[in-house]
Amino acid sequence: MAVPAALTEDQIYHRCPSEKLGFDTTETLEDLELPFGQDRVLRALEFGASMTAKGFNLFVLGPTGVGKHELVKQFLTNHAADKPVPSDWCHVFNFQHSDKPAAIELQPGEGRTFREDMDGLISELKTAIPATFESEEYQSRIQELQEEVTQRQQKALFAIQEEASNNNIAMVSTPAGFSFAPMRNGEVIEPKEYETFSDEEKELIEAKVEDLQKKLQQAIQQVPRLRKEVRERIHELNEEMVQLSLGGPIGELREKWSHRPAVVAHLDGVRNDVVEHAEAFQDSENGVPGGLLNRYRVNLLVDNADTQGAPVVYEDLPNHQHLTGQIEHRAHQGNLYTDFTLIRAGSLHQANGGYLVVDARRLLTQPLAWEGLKRILFSGEIRIESLERLYGLATTVSQQPEPIPMNVKVVLLGDRMLYYLLSHYDPDFLDLFKVEADFEDELDRDEGSYALYARMIATMARASGLKVLDRAAVARVIEHASRLASDQKKLTAHDRVLKDLLAEADHWASQSEDDSIGIAHVQQAIDEREYRASRIRERSLEQVRRGIMMIATEGRQVGQVNGLSVLQVGANRFGQPTRITATARPGKGQVVDIEREAKLGGPIHSKAVMILSRFMAHRYAPMGELSLSASLAFEQSYGGVEGDSASVAETCVLLSAITGVPLKQSLAVTGSMNQHGEVQAVGGVNEKIEGFFNVCAQAGEVNGHGALLPASNVEHLMLNKQLQDAVGEGRFSVYPLSHIDQAIELLTGMEAGIPDAEGKYPENTFNRLVADRLAEYAQAGKKKDDDKANRNGGNGGNSNGDE
Amino acid sequence: MATVTATNDQPGSTVKAGRVLILLDGSPLSLAALEAAAEIALARNTEVLGVFVEETNLLRAAGYGFAREVGGSSGLARPLEAAALEVRLQALAEQARRSLKQTMARRGLSQTLKLCRGRVAEEVLNLVQPDDLVVLGRVGWSGIPGGRLGSTARVLLRQAPGDVLLWTAPGHRRQNRVVVLLNHDQGANHRAVRAGAELAHRSNQPLSVLIRASSEGEQEVAQDILRYMEREGISARVRWIPVASAGAALRAMQEEGASHLIVSRTCSVFADQEADTLLAGLNLPVTVTP
Repeated sequence: MAVPAALTEDQIYHRCPSEKLGFDTTETLEDLELPFGQDRVLRALEFGASMTAKGFNLFVLGPTGVGKHELVKQFLTNHAADKPVPSDWCHVFNFQHSDKPAAIELQPGEGRTFREDMDGLISELKTAIPATFESEEYQSRIQELQEEVTQRQQKALFAIQEEASNNNIAMVSTPAGFSFAPMRNGEVIEPKEYETFSDEEKELIEAKVEDLQKKLQQAIQQVPRLRKEVRERIHELNEEMVQLSLGGPIGELREKWSHRPAVVAHLDGVRNDVVEHAEAFQDSENGVPGGLLNRYRVNLLVDNADTQGAPVVYEDLPNHQHLTGQIEHRAHQGNLYTDFTLIRAGSLHQANGGYLVVDARRLLTQPLAWEGLKRILFSGEIRIESLERLYGLATTVSQQPEPIPMNVKVVLLGDRMLYYLLSHYDPDFLDLFKVEADFEDELDRDEGSYALYARMIATMARASGLKVLDRAAVARVIEHASRLASDQKKLTAHDRVLKDLLAEADHWASQSEDDSIGIAHVQQAIDEREYRASRIRERSLEQVRRGIMMIATEGRQVGQVNGLSVLQVGANRFGQPTRITATARPGKGQVVDIEREAKLGGPIHSKAVMILSRFMAHRYAPMGELSLSASLAFEQSYGGVEGDSASVAETCVLLSAITGVPLKQSLAVTGSMNQHGEVQAVGGVNEKIEGFFNVCAQAGEVNGHGALLPASNVEHLMLNKQLQDAVGEGRFSVYPLSHIDQAIELLTGMEAGIPDAEGKYPENTFNRLVADRLAEYAQAGKKKDDDKANRNGGNGGNSNGDE
Repeated sequence: MATVTATNDQPGSTVKAGRVLILLDGSPLSLAALEAAAEIALARNTEVLGVFVEETNLLRAAGYGFAREVGGSSGLARPLEAAALEVRLQALAEQARRSLKQTMARRGLSQTLKLCRGRVAEEVLNLVQPDDLVVLGRVGWSGIPGGRLGSTARVLLRQAPGDVLLWTAPGHRRQNRVVVLLNHDQGANHRAVRAGAELAHRSNQPLSVLIRASSEGEQEVAQDILRYMEREGISARVRWIPVASAGAALRAMQEEGASHLIVSRTCSVFADQEADTLLAGLNLPVTVTP
């Protein structure tokens, strides 16, 4: 198999041709209204925002920093501008059920008018009603009424007293009532004297006394009825007076609001209530009780007077109360009071008729907020309930406002994991959030996209108030966007990272007192950023330099190769070489993965080692036993190994250990391998190669060093300037691999060899060496078995020899 | 009946202090009146004589086997027995004694309780002297619902030789004037005006004098009164009202914001049933001077 040619400078870095960007600076570029390359999200948003059926709420998913919030806000604001302004909502006192405030829907802007009208009515009530009650007319009519009743009471009693006197019977007061006794000349007759009366006389007197007692009883028992009657008549009078003084203002309001039956009904309720409580208005000493008048006020819950189009509300603290509204309490002398005026709207009320945007993670971290939102979306009405009541912690009488019909499109923003977890574990989720708007992480990089990407950069810079970028700077940003996407054919869509880069470049441009951002400033921003994050990388390099971490970059070694790994610390990644070693001796066909044995290897790594062991058995001992006991280890690795990107390196080092052929230490290898020896793509190639380059560079002059990587990874290469230079000057080579044999040839300098029709490899090829060596192992193993069988009496002939 | 000895030749001196007689029957209103009596006695620095009368008529009535007590509020009839009644009266007397003692002791006043048996009005008239002030509740426990004047009060108002204070729970805070109701042509006015001045002094309230006259005129009468009040250092005003029904006088008093009424028994308003109408309509303490 032919050794692959090393990659050229252009292959390891996809330049942005700045001459093709048809502008000098970003100043001349127009703003980009909607981001490009996000067609899927935009179509989903368009659909979700327009779809009226129930449950078509949106979940906008994408990684953080991709600009979900800005895009959704921008889109919805544009979308909502043409929609009708939703209704105003008020809570008013419910005169039938005082703990269940009623809700009234009004046209946008009418709410304020209604509130002002009722405030005006209250001022009127405060003065007009007490004035009516203080009037001469009312006072004298009340007096007449009371006198009349008193007279009627007295009359009955006097009549009895009179009747008693006329019959010579005294009506005597007792401590608790009255008694009757015969009298003469105004004095009660002595009982002894009464004994002397004739029986007829006595009978007559006692019959009369009894008769009088009955009449008195009746008269006294009439009193409550009389009192009730007078109360009723006073009430009637009050009603009459209130009607007279309130008729005007309430009549006007009824006329004005005749198109709103709910308002008219409320006004009638107010009038009846005033009549009912007319007595409270008579206390001119303390004025009308405020609590009473407050009942006639309007709690304007949702005021859309100034709203343009449908509302778009972003709730940045989506807890239960903020979403569904709450009932506040007022502390007064250590007690807590509430009434309908203390009902506060939630963001669902504010967004009613429009859109509510909520961050999914924040929503899920608030107790009961998610459940509350789901319940409201299911029921289609907003019911204000306090958490303590929901939890059953408070059972005191509180307000239960009439639920308000809800028509809100909820837009959740969250990362993908959250979306998939919710879909999987929450059975309600997909019923309620049927529209999935998935953000692209990366955008296609082609000739057509340069202009759009440049406009996007211009828009960002302008929105953040940054200096303009010149053409070369834009080209460099585009190249860096490719590097961030780790792909020559893609550009990152991560809004935040780009914005930060531009802001930093702007800072460096200001520092150097330049009017615009040039390529040098962008580069400085990239370098500074890298430098700030370089502490651990530097430490790692230092360890190599001082020989604490043993990495060879010169010469040849048997059973030792430079593998490449990537370390992620926070948001930064860097690569570093790792020494992989192998040992081999005859055995029963097993490759010991020391990492796995020590429980430092992950399952993917174990799988890769198993693949390579089956690859070797299949390739080198297709018909016989693979008599091999080998071991593989990542030297000086203490933190665990995962992934299959070392399987090419592991195969090479193992074969080196078997054959005793040394491997070039000036090369490093990465790549995964399948059972047929084909090399497959891996991740983090840029960091890996740069990591090895740095180690080589600090060990001395880079000359003749290189890295081997899967050919399918070539288009992911966006290597840094030093590497570009080294490759350009031929000091460092990057080889693309498609098969394991290419790696063998590059590392050993020997031909790998292709088997003939019988499966035999040509003489003096590497593979022939492997096959021969393994045959020797098998032989050695067999001899050992024979000796053992002889010692045991010669009956172990069918033992396969492995131990 | 002793005639009134007007001492208006010494306007600056205090009224010669007679005793304060307080009628006690154990009813809530009589206890309220007791407090008022104590305040007056304190101001006058005089002794208090409590009077508790066991009504003969009542005792006799209880002696009848067929006697029933009809409840004043419930209208229910239950047997009225002499023995039980005695016990109740004794308890009431004891309560009156205790209340009197406590009320006066708080103010350091001397007091005596006189227990008698007979007819209340007669017993009081026997005890009272012209300089004495009789204080009694507007109604006793004989109070008929609706609050008319009790029979005892009626007799005493007309026959007592001295002043009679008919006590009732004070009304509205807005009412804060002492009002004296006069007939323009009566000699007994002096005593009423003097009593009004004393009360205005004591309660630190302004005074209004309402004079019933067929026509405004005789400004001298008004001038005399105002001069007198000025000497006494009392803010006063005089108002003429027509000689019309008691209702008219009543409204005039309400307009003045009367907290206490002082009226002479000889005032024309006391003729016929007018006095009853006036007193029934007024829900405030009334002092009637002879």
